[in-house]
Amino acid sequence: MNDRLRRSLVRVGAMASKETLHVLRDPRTLALALVMPVLMLFLFGFGVSFDLDHVPVVVADADRSPASRELVRRITGSRELVSAGEADPAEADRLFRRGDAAAVLVVPAGYGAKVARRERIALQLLTDGSDVTVANQVLSKADALVRAETRRLVGVDLARVDPPLQVKLWTRYNPAGRSALFMVPGLAAYILAISAVLLTALTVAGEWERGSMEQLFASPVGRLEIVLGKLAPYLALGMLELLLVVAFGAAVFDVPVRGSFALFLLVGLFFLVGMLGQGLLISVITKNQLVATQAGTMSALLPSLLLSGMVFPIENMPAALQLLSRVVPARYLVHALRGILLKGNGLAALWPDLLALVLFAAAVLALATARFQRRLA
Amino acid sequence: MLGPPRPPAIEARGLTRRFGAFTAVDGVSFEVAPGEIFGYLGANGAGKSTTIRMLNGLLAPTSGTGLVAGHDVARDPEAVKASIGYMSQKFSLYLDLPVRENVAFFGGAYGLAGATLARRADEVLARAELRDVGDVTTGELPGGLRQRLALACAILHRPEVVFLDEPTAGVDPLARRTFWRIIRDLARDGTTVFVTTHYLDEAEYCARIGLMVDGRLVALDTPAGLKRTWVPEDVLVVRGRGLREAAAAVAGRPEVKNVVPFGAGLHLRVAPGSLRPEDAARLLSAAGAAEVSVEAAAPSLEDVFLAVVGNGARRAEGAP
Repeated sequence: MNDRLRRSLVRVGAMASKETLHVLRDPRTLALALVMPVLMLFLFGFGVSFDLDHVPVVVADADRSPASRELVRRITGSRELVSAGEADPAEADRLFRRGDAAAVLVVPAGYGAKVARRERIALQLLTDGSDVTVANQVLSKADALVRAETRRLVGVDLARVDPPLQVKLWTRYNPAGRSALFMVPGLAAYILAISAVLLTALTVAGEWERGSMEQLFASPVGRLEIVLGKLAPYLALGMLELLLVVAFGAAVFDVPVRGSFALFLLVGLFFLVGMLGQGLLISVITKNQLVATQAGTMSALLPSLLLSGMVFPIENMPAALQLLSRVVPARYLVHALRGILLKGNGLAALWPDLLALVLFAAAVLALATARFQRRLA
Repeated sequence: MLGPPRPPAIEARGLTRRFGAFTAVDGVSFEVAPGEIFGYLGANGAGKSTTIRMLNGLLAPTSGTGLVAGHDVARDPEAVKASIGYMSQKFSLYLDLPVRENVAFFGGAYGLAGATLARRADEVLARAELRDVGDVTTGELPGGLRQRLALACAILHRPEVVFLDEPTAGVDPLARRTFWRIIRDLARDGTTVFVTTHYLDEAEYCARIGLMVDGRLVALDTPAGLKRTWVPEDVLVVRGRGLREAAAAVAGRPEVKNVVPFGAGLHLRVAPGSLRPEDAARLLSAAGAAEVSVEAAAPSLEDVFLAVVGNGARRAEGAP
């Protein structure tokens, strides 16, 4: 009995060390595992930003008074909105089409005179709605700037009015509203999902293609031993990636680690097991590297990008997609990582995420092992 | 030496495998004695690999039974797997790993570790004459050496039976000769070898040969026995001058079955042992031929193969 266990461990160890040698000898695998995450972190971290910055606004000032110039200076002098020259309002369409402006600010004639007489003034803001994100942010920023300008103009008068309701905003965890803080946990899930699924899908399908799977099946190596021996090195590699992503997030984007590091590792571990299991299942079904790569990319990349809440809030999705997102493990990892890294949440808040990850991992591994028959045909 | 006979190393009884409507292996029965080299011949698709896969536990038989090293292949495939070595038709070692790492991996797959593994690895590398290339990356080895490495990996755990599925396909003649020397050494030391091949010259190395045609085992005997049964005539190769005219003198004799002009000479097919070459030479010279030389040519397994494939079905059904 003891001898059987020892032999089983020897077999798992042989699989694992062979797999490690494969990885160490193949620069492409190592690159896929270690360089790609860092590269993607940089690309997404710097490239994908929802922070409004230097949006070009064209000004159509029909008044040309000191007052109107002051208004334009106040609005386009912010870091978020910048002046992209002057134009006639009729030209707005052309400007939007060519992408020269995201918005056109129209100041009506007689603005200065009306300000002096304290009359109501209607400013006009035309925005390019083809990019909703930018349009919305231009609107809210312009609104805030105009309100500030109004306060400046009416000054003391308005200060006397005491509005019955007042909202004081206090943004916790990410006071500066920086995208990177919110992106890095999402990116970790995305990067891990792709590389873990692809790594196993490729390596297991490779054994089928090479014919070595038949050779293994003719030996006493059991299927669970193959699965464990295959997954262990990639699990280690995946954990390394996770640490790399968070270390880079901390070093480059100042992403904090406020919660328990052990919980962070635990959540990452179960997520990885699930993703490796998914890759295994794909390769057991396809038995072909090319098909496995495509299936792996589709099943790992799209859901982790679109349904994880990494970019698009799950709460805003249609009910069907919300339901679908419940079987996407990246969703739970993104939620858990944001909780641990940014909020310092503990197990008390995150146990549902952890449980979901454990369930997914167990289900997909059981399915893969069941489909993994050691007999041919 | 007259103790009770040892049980056969491999025993197939009516072994059958169907894939849908197609019967790949059809009621095959044979026994292989311990330490025997058993050759399995047949055209592509004749059912050779399917038979091997049933015997090594990879494929469940549709019907019939197979016993390998005393274990039933259908009921106890795991016990079968532990006591056999297998070299599949497709070269399937890891080309990116050095020779020794491949050996170490397959050793581990059979539960070998530590000092035992190191000792066995040295042993099989020596046996396969690969000691000098232990640190070479497998992908850099020529075909003949790769085949020997695959064999080394298959015998690492000292299996009772090894199954070799076309082990020498695509390997040059010199490398094939070395490979077969290693196989014969292995069998001499008691390992049973079940080998399929396309090369009829190397089938001569086998103690017995089974011939597969369309999923059925249509002939099973020693190489000499097969030749006796399937190519019963002796072939006499005659050279000289004036043979055409003299041929009539021998053609009428009852022991001469057939006279065929062959280039400038003649091929006489005669009943076995009925006409010695020197007698044939004397008869032809007496009939007027000059400078006659006659040599007996043994029928080759190629003649057997062609005869069997040509008449296989008829003999299998008609002959007792």
